[in-house]
Amino acid sequence: MNLTCKERDRIFEDGTAAEWAALEGHAANCVSCAEELRSWKSLSVAAAELREYTESPALWPRIRHSLTEQAASIQKGRKRWSWRSLFAPFSFSWQTAAATAFVAVLMISAGWLLRPNKPPIQEGSLLKSKALTEVEHAESAYVQAIDRLAADAKPQIDNPATPLMGNYREKLLVLDSAIDDLRAQTGQNPSNAHLRYELLAMYQEKQRTLEEILEEKR
Amino acid sequence: MGIMGLALAWETRIPAVAQRERRVEPFRGQVAAPDPAEAGRAEDTALAAACRSGDLRAYERLYALHGARMKNLARNILGSATDAEDAVQETFLKVQRGIASFRGQSSFVTWTFRILVNTCHDARRGRLRKKEVAADDEQQRDDAAPRPEPRASVAHPSLRLALERALAKLTRHQRDVFLLYEVEGFRHAEISSMLEISEAASKNTLFQAKKNLRQMLEPPRGSYAAGAR
Repeated sequence: MNLTCKERDRIFEDGTAAEWAALEGHAANCVSCAEELRSWKSLSVAAAELREYTESPALWPRIRHSLTEQAASIQKGRKRWSWRSLFAPFSFSWQTAAATAFVAVLMISAGWLLRPNKPPIQEGSLLKSKALTEVEHAESAYVQAIDRLAADAKPQIDNPATPLMGNYREKLLVLDSAIDDLRAQTGQNPSNAHLRYELLAMYQEKQRTLEEILEEKR
Repeated sequence: MGIMGLALAWETRIPAVAQRERRVEPFRGQVAAPDPAEAGRAEDTALAAACRSGDLRAYERLYALHGARMKNLARNILGSATDAEDAVQETFLKVQRGIASFRGQSSFVTWTFRILVNTCHDARRGRLRKKEVAADDEQQRDDAAPRPEPRASVAHPSLRLALERALAKLTRHQRDVFLLYEVEGFRHAEISSMLEISEAASKNTLFQAKKNLRQMLEPPRGSYAAGAR
């Protein structure tokens, strides 16, 4: 293999065995390359001066002691239970999913517990279905009876002759309005006995008023 | 006597014994000497497995096989035998802590030396912080260079001292590669794994390191010529 002085550095950096042999051959006839080669090899020889593999009798016992201590502390750490150790076998994505589900359950539970307070429901205040049917029948009959009274009193109410009759008229308008509201509420919540009692009180008041109007007529 | 003068006549200063020991790159693969990386592959795997199981005897074996080399490398990086022993101890502890994460991409010994090199540089940085010296690597060369402490008597104390001083002026990577290749005898493939660089980069870094060392250690051409005469 023939080579030139220009290839010397490349061989120094990354030459193959054959190229080094060729360089040695070339250096035999080239003073410059011979000097460079000698100098280059000298560095490797000089590096041997930095090898000092002396014994350190105290070093291994020291290392062994610290390794034993560290192993004990690692074992201790493994035995100590923690939430993190519970999740350790799962991947990060599974841990994230579990955490998200946990937060969702927590929020739903909190929402349920902290929902707006409704009036306390008294024991027995809700009408059972059979009782409700009876009440509705009785109420219906009562309303029809009151409507008949209202029909009798209608001429006086529509044409009030006296200021007293005018007052009765105004009172009946207010009572009818209140009755309509209560009927609407009982329609939404038919089992609520409290509403039924209020409605009954309104009907009774209307009945008394109509009776007073008819008394005035006589 | 200055550095230049020390290196003036290496060939004549280095005795015949040393001449026989020289390791020249092209012959590395051809010499019949056992290759530690190849021959010890099975032992390396077994050693890693034993260390992973927590067997202290495996760590003792690791120390017996490589402890001296580890300490020597640490001493050459840190410039102090005490610091070097601390670094080796810390390396063993790190190996024990991290053995579970060792997947065998490189050899166990290579992995251990990578930890050692990093531990040494951490120690140097810690020393730098203590001295409140700027951390820039280029500036470190002068300011944070290891201060070599006296060693046991060697064949060429002045040559060693000159080399240590010159090494201290190299960049961190050049110094690491030179020490791992020329002093500790690792291959470029192993060094590339230890320093997390390519094999080509390892070769080029060694070339640059040796070029710089030659410039620092050799006398000017003129004075050599005059001396030769």
